[in-house]
Amino acid sequence: MPARRRARYWVGQMPLSQKSALVIGAGGLGGPALYTLAAAGVGRLVLMDADAVETSNLNRQPLFGEADVGARKAAVAAARLRALRPDARIEPLDERFAAANAAALVRGVDVVIDGSDDFATKFLANDVAVAARKPLVHGGILRTTAQLLTVVPGPAGCLRCLFEDPPPPDAMPSNADAGVLGALAGFAGALMAAEALRLLAGERGAYVGRLLTFEARTARARLVMIRRREGCPACRTPAPVA
Amino acid sequence: MTLDPERIERYARQLVIPGIGREGQERLGAARVRVVGGSSAAVPGILYLTLAGIGAIWIDDPEPVGPADSGHWIFPPHTVGEPRERVVVEALQARSRFVLLEPHRPEAVPTATVVFASSAAQAVAAAERARREKVPHVVVEWDGEGGSVVTVPLRAPCYACGRSIGGAGRPPSASASALSALAAEELILLLADPAAARGRRIDLTRGVPSVRATARLAGCACAADIER
Repeated sequence: MPARRRARYWVGQMPLSQKSALVIGAGGLGGPALYTLAAAGVGRLVLMDADAVETSNLNRQPLFGEADVGARKAAVAAARLRALRPDARIEPLDERFAAANAAALVRGVDVVIDGSDDFATKFLANDVAVAARKPLVHGGILRTTAQLLTVVPGPAGCLRCLFEDPPPPDAMPSNADAGVLGALAGFAGALMAAEALRLLAGERGAYVGRLLTFEARTARARLVMIRRREGCPACRTPAPVA
Repeated sequence: MTLDPERIERYARQLVIPGIGREGQERLGAARVRVVGGSSAAVPGILYLTLAGIGAIWIDDPEPVGPADSGHWIFPPHTVGEPRERVVVEALQARSRFVLLEPHRPEAVPTATVVFASSAAQAVAAAERARREKVPHVVVEWDGEGGSVVTVPLRAPCYACGRSIGGAGRPPSASASALSALAAEELILLLADPAAARGRRIDLTRGVPSVRATARLAGCACAADIER
């Protein structure tokens, strides 16, 4: 691969202990991602979650146990991760990822992992990461299907190139209505972390410009190429001429 | 095992999934799973089996926690040198009172097995034991950034038919957590809905899974399993 093209996906050559990641959501996707990033040796982890632990979380959110029900997720997750990695900087934020704080948070890290469970947050994370030219690993899960997409500066498309806008409220079933297979969330969250580690190591991501969809019951995976869409309000610039 | 209101609340997100439902959750609660291997690579899978409500999980790993395990999921640095079985049981038992975690006893007979072995020879031996015990099993093959998960329901082609020719390869890396969770997912679906289970192999290559049905090798001893 030509050096100039390869360099587009590099975020530096420092060791992982000097790298940082923002993980939005510490639940079904964010939990396994945080565990995996911590184990790999990422030096600074900023984790955001504004919820409390509920009993119905416990089938899929690995950072929490029965004794944590009612406690704040950000604090519990940070305590678990600090016990594992006393040398790492674990920064819990008990707040929502919102327009008021998003840009500063994204600018302050090397990679963003979106493990949120609502579309408004997912599209905000996409827009802010694209604007800040930071790599974003997007993930979603519902029932027995997971999807992943990596957004990096360059010719590959972003989440908004694919979907344009979040679906209308109530257009999609909620986790409570459709269910979530816990181990599938673990699979997807760990894949998101592995992808972030590839990006932090200066490698090209496996899901850059490729939406991976995996259905657990059939175990079938599908990759859909995502190109920049002309007129995408996040990417702003016209699509490159093919 | 019937579901009481506490379990219904706890497993609410699983009960609405097609293929699990109330009956599937009851099957998970009645299952006794032998887990071969309790290393840091195996722990994500064991944790998800615990969270899913498997009735009993028996950890089979004679090794102590090693330096390579330190910092992974449930292995704080101070656990290095302690028996893995004990560390895994204590850490994960605290996550659910609906699941019984214990070190494996040689005389115990499981209803399913999951193999997170650290070597190809150990994986083959554990899978063959499961076949002889006539229990469904799932076997993980680590191979650096990728690897495979082979699912062996009853009467399906055995692990020897579906495994990699060279066996497990390079030591597991960051993707091991994904592979481990995938193995748990396969076993959960197999136990919850055994009639829908098929012998298959899922390969994970640079973050992208692909699946194929396993096929029985000519002359393999597992052909006799169909008669049973």
